Amino acid sequence: MVEFRIGRGHDGPARTGEYILKDTTFTTPLLTSLSTSSNNIIGSGTLGRDDPLSDEPMLVSLPFFSQIEDLQLDKLRECDAVLLPSLMSFSSLTPDSPELILDYQSQALTNLKTHIEPSRAIMRVPSEIFPESFSKKITQFLETGVSGAVFVFNGQLGQEDLGSLQLRRLLPLSMMAVALGRITPGLLPLLHYTGFDMIDANHAHEAASQNIRLWKNGPEKIEASREPRYCPCPVCSNIDNDEEDQSIVLLEHNLDVYRSVLSESIQARQSGRLRWLVESQTHNSPSMASLLRNVDRDLYQFIEEFTPSTGSETIPLIGPESYYSPAVRRFRKNVANRYAPPQGKQIVLLLPCSARKPYSDSRSHRRFAEVITTTLGSVQPKVAEVILTSPLGLVPRELERIFPAAQYDIPVTGNWDTEEIKIGAEALVTHLKKFNSSAVVVAHLSGGYLDIVTAAEPDIEQTIIYTSHEARATSRESLETLGESLSELKSVLSISSEPRTTLREIVSATADYQFGEGAGRLLVPENSKLKGKPYKLILCQIDGDQVCSYVAESGNLSLTLEGGRRIASLGRYWVRLDVKSVKGGSIFAVGVQEADVAIRPGDEVIVINNNDDVIGVGRSDMSGREMCELNRGRAVTLRHKVE
Amino acid sequence: MDESLTRIHTAVEQATFRARGQSIKKRHKRNPLQPSAKWTAPARVGRDQGTALAVVLSTIGCAHARSDSGGCTMCSYLLDGSQSMPSSEQLIEQFKSSMVGLEGKKAPLSVKIYTSGSFLDPEEIPEAARSEILKIIGADERVREVVLESRPEYVQDSVLSEVRSILGDRTIEIGMGLESASDTIRTVCINKSFDLQTFKECIETAKGHNIGMRAYVLLKPPLLTERDSLLDAITTVRDAQTMGVTTVSLNPVNVQNDTLVEKLWNRRKYRPPWLWSVVEVLRKASEISDGWMRIVCDPVAGGRRRGAHNCGKCDSEIVQVIRDFSLSQDPAILEKPSCGCMQQWEHALKHEDSSQLIHR
Repeated sequence: MVEFRIGRGHDGPARTGEYILKDTTFTTPLLTSLSTSSNNIIGSGTLGRDDPLSDEPMLVSLPFFSQIEDLQLDKLRECDAVLLPSLMSFSSLTPDSPELILDYQSQALTNLKTHIEPSRAIMRVPSEIFPESFSKKITQFLETGVSGAVFVFNGQLGQEDLGSLQLRRLLPLSMMAVALGRITPGLLPLLHYTGFDMIDANHAHEAASQNIRLWKNGPEKIEASREPRYCPCPVCSNIDNDEEDQSIVLLEHNLDVYRSVLSESIQARQSGRLRWLVESQTHNSPSMASLLRNVDRDLYQFIEEFTPSTGSETIPLIGPESYYSPAVRRFRKNVANRYAPPQGKQIVLLLPCSARKPYSDSRSHRRFAEVITTTLGSVQPKVAEVILTSPLGLVPRELERIFPAAQYDIPVTGNWDTEEIKIGAEALVTHLKKFNSSAVVVAHLSGGYLDIVTAAEPDIEQTIIYTSHEARATSRESLETLGESLSELKSVLSISSEPRTTLREIVSATADYQFGEGAGRLLVPENSKLKGKPYKLILCQIDGDQVCSYVAESGNLSLTLEGGRRIASLGRYWVRLDVKSVKGGSIFAVGVQEADVAIRPGDEVIVINNNDDVIGVGRSDMSGREMCELNRGRAVTLRHKVE
Repeated sequence: MDESLTRIHTAVEQATFRARGQSIKKRHKRNPLQPSAKWTAPARVGRDQGTALAVVLSTIGCAHARSDSGGCTMCSYLLDGSQSMPSSEQLIEQFKSSMVGLEGKKAPLSVKIYTSGSFLDPEEIPEAARSEILKIIGADERVREVVLESRPEYVQDSVLSEVRSILGDRTIEIGMGLESASDTIRTVCINKSFDLQTFKECIETAKGHNIGMRAYVLLKPPLLTERDSLLDAITTVRDAQTMGVTTVSLNPVNVQNDTLVEKLWNRRKYRPPWLWSVVEVLRKASEISDGWMRIVCDPVAGGRRRGAHNCGKCDSEIVQVIRDFSLSQDPAILEKPSCGCMQQWEHALKHEDSSQLIHR
């Protein structure tokens, strides 16, 4: 029995796991090679054609056959995994040939079942198969117990490679995804990111045989006429020696580059920066950049589904590839669809973002706050503050501590490109539609920020007052203009003073953002009582019962059981168990009967039983679909449960 | 064969037929009095150096290729043939004009008659033409060796009796495309449409008339990896030896117009074999044969993109080595060549097997 177990931790579909072959456990993601089996590499070879590389288990390809007797099954070791046979290029012949080749594999598996237990088998996915056919066929392989599937990459990063990524998306979550073909080290981060568990490192050998030394960012041809690039690795000190050994030296170096880039990718996943690493690789080549752009376009839902909704590390958003990264796109969508401004706002104040996060902690925003407080004083509750930024579009002040608004970091030049202006303007137009048309928009912005407002202006109903177009928003002059404009507005609009509502607004907006429209009204009704500090902890009580707390560090709400009961009626973010009550501190995927597919890793969720009683609340460790499909792993870390 | 393989074969057949397209109907008009091709070359005839004439008669072409089964996946030799059926007189005239090439050549001579089909198929070469052509050869004392090409279905006792009686004591071989000893590969990858048993029966029939069998062994039919095909060719040579084949002619696939192979090749889904594979098969074949069979190979388009090729630097040297070996039968010649691209070939052998990715 061969097992593929998925472990904890996510960054996009990237995951870690264990591939257990008899007595040996390999940690995934893992490399595979035809020339070595050591140090994070599983060996591979073809039955009857290549000898085992070591005593370790390996991936053994079965050659094309029609009779079992044609195979040298006596050479197959019990610990080896088996790649099912195929016919090269056959699947490109006719529209139904991809299905025929899968039927052939399935038939081969049946014929071999007395020799090879199905969990040892890894199927080969023909790259030409239609997604619908694949989804249909794959179930039968899953049911037979096949534990993994191979997708082929030709290394051109074009349509065919994109096609393999699109098919990978359809693989059942519990199956191991294997990428074979011509895969350069620079592609490893993207393959890890898109959820591949085993990756072919054999291009190391191919390149070495052509006197090519590989690096993370591209190849280097080793020629007698040119000084080779300096490399600190011990094997490379022998690079100038005689020709015979050169390919061995290069092979070792090349394999080490694979190991090193894989390790970098794993580490990036662990710290939530794999997306950044993937984006940084787009500068290797235009085709790498177009591949990621196509992935973001075609695989957004797949990648977003596994992208955590919380995180604490700084997230660098550096180039155009970041504009549509899942965490960013999802933030823009949630603000647009879920955020509703508090009633009665008469002034919408647009402010520039700051390098320091959360914005309130920055010097510039402290200055803005000073002006606002001194000029408006007790009428401040009538002002809605909105921070314009790229590529998040805009951030309502109440949400400034939520992921990724508090974590993102962008290069600041004051200039925005056309795409950023378009994104910002769209977000602004959508946002301002939520305010009363009689409200006044005060744009305390300069430079590129103004371009956003200018682009949006034709679609904005409200009056706009510009307070700093000549100078920087933080200049004394601008701040004075802001102060004057605000006090003028205070009298013109005859705004009356009101009790401060900051705490209520933060908790309510966060509730809507986290749980969707309506959550704020349920968790923070009129009669709720709030206490605490916006930059620390806010507690929300209804009739003496605490329903939730806002933790400034994460910008998120934590529910109590009472809070869970209150939002249960929304029918969102629920995990259903087939038990009366829960025991222990965690819920495992195996126990989950059903779960809301909108759940992302890191989301606050409610746990219900078959009577729809809330029996616990906690934080999800995986996406809703994983909770349903996987039979292992922690699904929810419980915060409270019904005793 | 399992049902899944049968359906795979049907798909191959359809694709082959489609690849053929209208090409058969759109063949160029040819002079019915001239063969499609003819050439003479120094050759080994028996134990001596002599001259060989090869003639490709312009006929209506291989019946298998013309049929709805689409013919073989790699072959469009019949496109060299003619659109309409030449008369017996015209076919005889074609042959006579080729024999002119042997004027003044000294014995021993060898004559090989190809038709882009089957010389023994009466639909292709009427019996009258066949007898007359054989008689022309029978009348030339210099000719010591004759090779006639045919598919197995036309190899019959009565026909071979006639051949033997006209050609007297000359060495006779029937050239036949065995391609692979594996029925699965011959059917699924090549679409050849005969089985090993039929081939064996032909050998026995031919033996009865003291006629030898020249088996064409295909190197790298489509849908196989480089190593699949290398190993299959070696196995085929071994089986050919056991069955009593007299000559093995190794044919590395070249990309011919309007074939399934060409369609795959255009889509970057096929690469003709490496010359290293050719050398390797010849080396093994020579070892297996141990002097019992003749092993010959003349890679069509060798060293070119559409033919068996290596890296481009070593190709012409290796093609020459292959030709030299065919003439001398000396395996030591095959040990000589070496080039940096050998490692790439070794990589392709292993990696295509495991990844199923074409290494071009």
